[in-house]
Amino acid sequence: MTTAYAATETPIVKLVNVDKDYELGTVIVPALRDVSLSIAAGEFTVIAGPSGSGKTTLLNLIGCVDIATRGSVIIDGSDTKVLKDKQLTELRLRSLGFIFQSFNLVGVLDAFDNVEFPLLLQGKLSKADRRERVMVLLRQLGIEQYSHHRPGELSGGQRQRVAIARALVTEPRIVLADEPTANLDSKTGNSILDSMQELNARGTTFLFSTHDPRVVSRAGRVIRLVDGEIADHNATAEDVAQLAAAAHAA
Amino acid sequence: MILIRIALRNLRGHWVKGLIVGGLLFLGAALVVVGLSLLSTIDRSMAKSIVGSVSGNLQVYAKDAKDKLTLFAGMTDGTEIGHVEDFAKVRQTLEAVPGVKAVIPMGTDVAMVYGGNVLDVKLDQLRAAEKGKDKDKSKVVRAHVRKMVGLLAKDLDRMSDLRAVKNMSDETKQAIADVKQGGSDAFWASFDKDPFTALEFLENKVAPLGLNADMIWFRYIGTDLDRFASNFELFEVVDGTQVPKGQRGFLFNKLTYEETIKHRTARRFDKIRDRLAEGFTLKRDEDLQQWRKLNKDQMREITYQLDDRTEPMVRQFLQKHLDNSASAIEVLLAQFMDINDDNFGARYTAFYAGIAPHLMLYSVKIGDVMTMKGFTSAGYPTTVNVKVYGTFRFKSLDKSMMAGGMNLIDLMSYRDLYGFLTADRKEELAKLQAQSGVKPPSHDRAEADLFADADDEVEELPRAATVVAANEVGKTNSEWPAAVAAAPAVESGFDEFAKVDMKASAKKYGEDLFGRVYAQPDIDGGVVRNAAILLHNGIDERQAKLAVQKACNDHKLGLQVMDWREASGMIGQFLFVIYAVLAGSLFIIFFTAMVIINNSTVLATMERTREIGALRAIGAQRSYIRKMFFVEGLVLALLFGSLGSAFGGLVVAFFNAKGIAAFNDVFVFLFAGPRLYPTMSFTHVVVALVVVTVVTLFSTLYPAWLATRVTPLQAMQDAE
Repeated sequence: MTTAYAATETPIVKLVNVDKDYELGTVIVPALRDVSLSIAAGEFTVIAGPSGSGKTTLLNLIGCVDIATRGSVIIDGSDTKVLKDKQLTELRLRSLGFIFQSFNLVGVLDAFDNVEFPLLLQGKLSKADRRERVMVLLRQLGIEQYSHHRPGELSGGQRQRVAIARALVTEPRIVLADEPTANLDSKTGNSILDSMQELNARGTTFLFSTHDPRVVSRAGRVIRLVDGEIADHNATAEDVAQLAAAAHAA
Repeated sequence: MILIRIALRNLRGHWVKGLIVGGLLFLGAALVVVGLSLLSTIDRSMAKSIVGSVSGNLQVYAKDAKDKLTLFAGMTDGTEIGHVEDFAKVRQTLEAVPGVKAVIPMGTDVAMVYGGNVLDVKLDQLRAAEKGKDKDKSKVVRAHVRKMVGLLAKDLDRMSDLRAVKNMSDETKQAIADVKQGGSDAFWASFDKDPFTALEFLENKVAPLGLNADMIWFRYIGTDLDRFASNFELFEVVDGTQVPKGQRGFLFNKLTYEETIKHRTARRFDKIRDRLAEGFTLKRDEDLQQWRKLNKDQMREITYQLDDRTEPMVRQFLQKHLDNSASAIEVLLAQFMDINDDNFGARYTAFYAGIAPHLMLYSVKIGDVMTMKGFTSAGYPTTVNVKVYGTFRFKSLDKSMMAGGMNLIDLMSYRDLYGFLTADRKEELAKLQAQSGVKPPSHDRAEADLFADADDEVEELPRAATVVAANEVGKTNSEWPAAVAAAPAVESGFDEFAKVDMKASAKKYGEDLFGRVYAQPDIDGGVVRNAAILLHNGIDERQAKLAVQKACNDHKLGLQVMDWREASGMIGQFLFVIYAVLAGSLFIIFFTAMVIINNSTVLATMERTREIGALRAIGAQRSYIRKMFFVEGLVLALLFGSLGSAFGGLVVAFFNAKGIAAFNDVFVFLFAGPRLYPTMSFTHVVVALVVVTVVTLFSTLYPAWLATRVTPLQAMQDAE
C-alpha cells in the first residue's frame, strides 16, 4: 500500500452513530446502520464495498447533500443536521468538491465554463485569476486544448477530468469522488489518480467511493462497508479484492 | 454573464421550444406596438376631431341634469340636460380660471325643414306672376305646374293600381281625386276665372302630395357663431359667408347641405365621382351600380323640374351630347344615365354643363330664409325663420356625418326655437298684447297654456312669435318676407288674434330680426344648455377640469364639468372599446404564451433535474437556480420582444406611409380625416417589452420554483 498523505490528527469528517433510512412507500429501507467514522484532514481514503452496500449514501451524507436519519455528521466542524439549506450549500461551495460518477457537467457550457462555474458562485476571484486557475488545472489534467469543447464533444475520460477539475478548482478541503475511475481506461485512470495524489500531498482530503483496485491500492485507508455497516475501518487491498471477486462470482 | 451564457445556450439547445414561445412573444410584442400606436394616434385624432369641432376640451352643464350631456347622440335628442341660466356669469367666472381660453355657449337640438318641394316653389312663382300680372311668366309657370300635377296624378294612379282599392283609405281616395282635379283640363280652363282660389286649392290640397316634399331632419348647435368660429380651430366657412357679427343666421354643415339639400341625381353623380376616384369601378362595385340604377329609375327628379322653356334646352343638349335624334326627353335621359366606367367622366361634366343649370340644385339656397320646425324644451312644436348665410365644414372631417351632421344657428334663434323667452319675443309679445288687449300669462305656465288642449282652461295665448312662424312651416324660398305676407291665416284656435294683422306683424318682425345686431351682453345674457370650454395649448385637461369644477362650486354656478371624452358619448367611449378589443386579443395571445412557456419550462426543468442537482451540489444556492430560470425567460422575452417590437415598428411605418383608409364616416371622424397615419413612440416599445417580460417572468415563476425544489441528491441518484 502506498500512502501519499500526511494526515493530521484533527478529524475533518466525523460521523457518530449515523443511521440513514429510505422510505419506499410504506417500507423503510435502512441504508446505513450505526456508522461511526472519523477522517482526518489530509487522508486519502477509500470507501469500498459491493453495490448497494451504502457507499454513495455515506458519501452523500459526508458531502452534505443528504441528512442522516439519526446520529451526527460533522463536516469541517459543522454539524450538518442543524444547518439550513443555505448554510449547507455554502458549506458545499466553500469546503467540498464533488466528482460525480456520471460527471453531471452542464451540457450547454464548455469545459472552461464548467470548471470556472464554482469560482463564479464563490465570487472571490477576479476574472483573470479565475482564468489562470482554471487553465492551470486543465493543463495539469491534460485537457487544456479542450477548454472550449462542450461535454458532448469530449470523451468519457476527458469529461471525467473536467468534472475533477471542477471539483478541485475551489481548492476545497475535502474532495468526494464517486467511482472516479469507472469510466477511464487504465492509463487515464492512473494519470488522474497521480494528479489527485499530488493534491493530497498538498493537504486536500480525498474520499473515494469505489471498488476499483487501482484506487484501493493507492488509498491510505480503506473503509469497508457491508450491508450499510462498517465491516472494517482499515481493510487491506486484499480484503477488497476478495470482496470484489466474491461479488463478481455471485 | 455566465447566467446569460447558460440562458442563450439553453435556448439554442431547445430551439424548437424557444421558437414556439418566442413566436408568441414576438406576435404579442408586435401587437402591443401596433395596437398602442394605433390607439394613441386615434386618441390624438379623436381629440382633434372632437375638441376642435364642437366639444372643446371641457363641457359644463347643469348639475341637476337628469341625463348626461351627449354631444354626438345622433338625431334622437331625448336628453334632459337642464339649463345654464345665466351664461354671462358662467363665462365671466370660468374665463377667469387659469388656462381657460374661451367659454362658448351651446345648445344642441334637432329640427326639421321641408325641403325640395318644387311644386311649392312653382306655385309661389305662379302666385307672384299672377299678382304682378306677368302673363308671359304665368303662362310658362302654369304649364310647368300643370305638367307636374299631371305627373303626380299618373304616379298616384299607378299607386292606386298597386293597392287593393278596398284597402284604400277615404283620405287617400280624396287625395287622388284632388290631384286628378288639379290636372284636369276643366280645372285649368277655369283657372283664369279665379286664379287665387285655384292656387289655394293647389297649395293646400295638391302640393302636400308633391313627389319630393321631403321632411329634412338635421341636428344643429345654437351658439355664439362669431366666437364659435374664432375658437374652434377646425371650423371653416366653405360657401357664402359667416353670419355677420351679432346677427341671427344659420350655417349649414357642407356635408349635410350636400347630402340632404342637394338635388338627388346631382348628389348621386357626385358620389359616383368620389367613389370612382377611390379606385372602385361600376363594373364591380354594388354601391356604384345602385346609384346608377337610382339615377335611371328616378329621372322624374329631373323631368319634374323642367318646364316648357327649359325642357327643349335640355333635350337639345342631350341629343347633341348623345348623338341621338330621339325627341322624348325620357329616352334621352335614360341613355344619358346609363353610365359606365368609360363614359362617366364625360357624362359628369355634361350633367353639370347642360342639365344642372336648369334644375333647382339645392332646395335651400344660400341667402334663403328657411323655416325650421322643432320642439321646445317642454315638447311643443315651434318654428323659427332663419336666413341661411352659407355652409361650413370642420377641416379634414368633410366626409364624416358625425361632424358633418352638426349645423350651426345663432344663439338668439336657438333660444326661440328651444322655447326660451328672448328679449325679442318679449318685445313682440308686448306689441301683440297691446294690439289685441290680451293679458300676459303667468311665466311658468306660458308654454303649457299655449299648447293645451282646447277643452282645457286656457288663460292666455302668449306665443305670437310662434304663431307667426307656424304659419310659415314648410316654406323654404328666397322670397320669404313676401311669402310670409301671402301666407294663410293663423291656425284655428287662435281666435284671440283674429283682429290682429298677423301678416304685417310677421313681415315686420322678420325684417327687424334679420337686420338686428345683438351686442355681446345680449348674446351672453341668457339661457343656454351647455357650454364648451377651450383651454390654452399645453394645459393639462385633468387639472383644468378640477379647477373649473372648483370655480363652479365656489361661485355656486350649479354646473358640472365633463371632459370631451365623456361629453362625446359613445364616440368618446369608442377608444375604450378598441382598448378592450386589443386587451382581449393580447390576453388570448399572452395567456397562450404563458401556458406554453409554463409547460415547456416545467418539462425543461424535469429534463434538467440532474444538471440542476449537480449545480446545487457544487454550491449553487436556490436563489441562483431561480435567477437562472428568470434570466432565461428574460433573454427570451427581450430577444423576441425586441424583434416583435421592431416588426411592429415596421408595420406602423408601413401604415404611416400608406395611411389606413376610414371605411365609414364614423372612422373618418375618429381618424380626423379620411386616412389615419399612425405613429409610434419609444414608449410603445418600452410598454411592449415590459408586457412581454412580465408575462414571461410570470409564467416562469412556477417552473423556477420547481427547479429550486430539486435537491443536490437528485444529481447523485443515478450513480447509486
